[in-house]
Amino acid sequence: MRKLDAKTLTERLIGVGVLVFAVLAPQIVNGYWLDTIFTQTLLLGIGAASLIFLSAYGGMISLAQTGLMGVAGYALGNMVSQRGLLGESKGLALGWDPTLSLVLAIVITTAAGLLFGAVASRSFGIYFLMLTLTFGVIANLFVGSVTKLGGFSPIAGIDRRTPGFIGDVLNDRQRLYYIALIAAVVAYVAIRYVARTPFGISLQGIRDEPVRMSSLGYTVPLHRMLAFTFAAFLAGVAGVLAAWWDGQISPSSLGLNATIELLVIAVIGGLVRIEGAWLGAFAFIVIENEVTNRIPSEGLPVVGGSFNTVVGLIFLAIVIVSPDGLMGIWERLWGLGRLREPQRPAPTASPAGSES
Amino acid sequence: MRRFGGRKLRLLVSLGVVAVAIAAMTQASSAAPFQALQVKYAIFTDCKGAFAFGYELDIGGANAALSEFAGARPKNKKKPSAGLIGGTAGGAKLTSVGYACGDDTPATILKEIRRLMVQKDADVMIGPLSGDEAVATANWAKNNPQKTVIIGTAGSQDPTMQIAPKNLLRYHGDGAQWNAGIGEIVYKKWGWRNAAIIMDDYSFGWTSAAGIIADFCAIGGKITKRVFPPLNTTDYSAYVRQLPAPDKVDGYFWVVGGTGTDPAFKAFEQAYGRLKAKQHSGNLFLWFLTGVAVAPRLKDAYIGGFGTGPGLKTAQAAAYEKSMKKWYPDLPATDAFVYNYYNAAHALVEGLKASKGRVGAALQAALPRTLRTGYSVSNGGLVKLDSRRQAIADQYPMQITNIGGKPGVKIAGYVPAVDQTFGGTFSPSKPAPGRNFPPCVKKKLPWQGKIQVVTNGKITNQFVK
Repeated sequence: MRKLDAKTLTERLIGVGVLVFAVLAPQIVNGYWLDTIFTQTLLLGIGAASLIFLSAYGGMISLAQTGLMGVAGYALGNMVSQRGLLGESKGLALGWDPTLSLVLAIVITTAAGLLFGAVASRSFGIYFLMLTLTFGVIANLFVGSVTKLGGFSPIAGIDRRTPGFIGDVLNDRQRLYYIALIAAVVAYVAIRYVARTPFGISLQGIRDEPVRMSSLGYTVPLHRMLAFTFAAFLAGVAGVLAAWWDGQISPSSLGLNATIELLVIAVIGGLVRIEGAWLGAFAFIVIENEVTNRIPSEGLPVVGGSFNTVVGLIFLAIVIVSPDGLMGIWERLWGLGRLREPQRPAPTASPAGSES
Repeated sequence: MRRFGGRKLRLLVSLGVVAVAIAAMTQASSAAPFQALQVKYAIFTDCKGAFAFGYELDIGGANAALSEFAGARPKNKKKPSAGLIGGTAGGAKLTSVGYACGDDTPATILKEIRRLMVQKDADVMIGPLSGDEAVATANWAKNNPQKTVIIGTAGSQDPTMQIAPKNLLRYHGDGAQWNAGIGEIVYKKWGWRNAAIIMDDYSFGWTSAAGIIADFCAIGGKITKRVFPPLNTTDYSAYVRQLPAPDKVDGYFWVVGGTGTDPAFKAFEQAYGRLKAKQHSGNLFLWFLTGVAVAPRLKDAYIGGFGTGPGLKTAQAAAYEKSMKKWYPDLPATDAFVYNYYNAAHALVEGLKASKGRVGAALQAALPRTLRTGYSVSNGGLVKLDSRRQAIADQYPMQITNIGGKPGVKIAGYVPAVDQTFGGTFSPSKPAPGRNFPPCVKKKLPWQGKIQVVTNGKITNQFVK
């Protein structure tokens, strides 16, 4: 049996503690915190994890993940919502079976990821970033401009028709929290598993030395495309959860602001470790929530939008203190106790510079 | 040593962030219990995006009504967002939980709803400001029947037609209602029979254009072409080229707003030559053109209203304008952002008086179904709500004119008691306005032939011919 080092053991203990807390959270925090902070943390964390997976294991920083989440939300919204008594007036409102709609939404998102990945997989560094940003912008403009799919107004009623095994997420928010928790745990385990498969190992090889891997006979674009497809699947799951959580979806859900927010979450958490996705999401949501509440909107010299500046300054502070985000702080904290020992270099994704 | 100090600092900052998060959680978990006879309200407006200019206007309108009817006092008459002191209605203390900072997108307004209506537990929302925000809010309201929404100045049709939750009310017309009468006026005054329409491709653009189309077609006009530039277009040349040439139609209706109005007209001039005022009409967006280069060339053009009556000389209008001047002397009382929020807050005070300070279903039932508003004339000077809690309100088509050497607008007509259905053109069972809805159909509208001429701000007994 492999002996665990102290750091790994500590991390696992913390992980178990966080999981126990997450399971008991409905008994500990009030409804607002459970629904608005924790559920949102879990679902945005899955979206951010899809971004961090590409960055940490594939060396690709993608700005298409929010767009892919939106594709899932729009696909689900158009298929599952229905006109008539419920009053939805936007989108196709096909009124299809919720289970079929759920499966198709994730399949469509994964297929979109495959398509995007096929186009972007030969690009590296800043070019990859720009291409994926373009995908995100295209997705945003497409759903806004194709008015039959909803146009600029939101498609509503997505949370009123859910599969039987999901249950009523509209009135039972605790149920939605646990569904998001299960999805987050499964996503985390799946990413860890994929990273350890031969595919994951070769992907990390491609991240570090794409030319050498290519000369060894690995098909670099194919690996990158498949990684992008897997990340799109995760984004699809996050998108479906976000649509249930909000109950509606509009182009602004996948706009540039939302894209930047997901990137900020990933950077705050740290682009080097998957755990950073949920840590970053929690920190971002709490900071945003607390700053908007603690700055009084009455009597300020500038109008209520000033909270963006404060959130930005806090983000800057975190990044300056620890370029690897909150997970980087953890690494440093651990190193602090062993100052006299030679420091282990922090893991880096080495995405842009070494590849281009 | 120095390096160790830097580490310590970082450690302290990190621990500080964690401590703030834990403190916030603890505090939120022990939220204050509900206090009897206190009504918490939130004013929903925009401080970002295309309508950010409405922030002080909206808050000012609402605060003025709370000062006038609920005994509150502005903290700063120059700056409405400074807030109010005091205020009671129906024995309940009025407490503002804050102002929403929207950006005219549904995603942001939903965030603000969670912050102010859920976390801060406001009982009543006054707002929101824009069309898609109102659609998102109405969808949310449907799932939260204990909360009450009184729309601020949003013009989309859906919130009170297709969605129509019982806890949402609107005391002003929607975007289509604001345009009642404009089609008949250009048909009769300029002799238009065939026209093209260019409209922003989103819910307010469609709703506003729907009012023009329904009104113009009802009297016998034909819409020969509909063009849909996406919102935030900057180069309109491709869309203007889709319009028929000036010798192929009698006129054009423009429903292109925000920063797009001026470039759209410029693109038209580049394509077809100098604008002729008698060939152009449009919706309220053209009110805002009065400061730009093409405006003088549109002098005498008839355009749609905004639910207010700038320059209307009635006792009620004077009383309302005096009230605004008393509380916020610098705010333009005739601005629809001010006026509509004023009426929404006034309705809230009247509702609370009737419900004796109770909120939820009691307040929703007690909110007035008729309300005396500044620019109402018909129905004894009262705005009346229909069965879906949507205002039946008087409308005032406008004409671009010269005021003090500068372009401005004056009232061109008085259209009494305009309802949301346009004589059955719109209904809950029909689609919301869209690119191709409503179709162009000749029919009898309740106000057809009853548009009264307004001269020097006074409504005459003459009808528009």
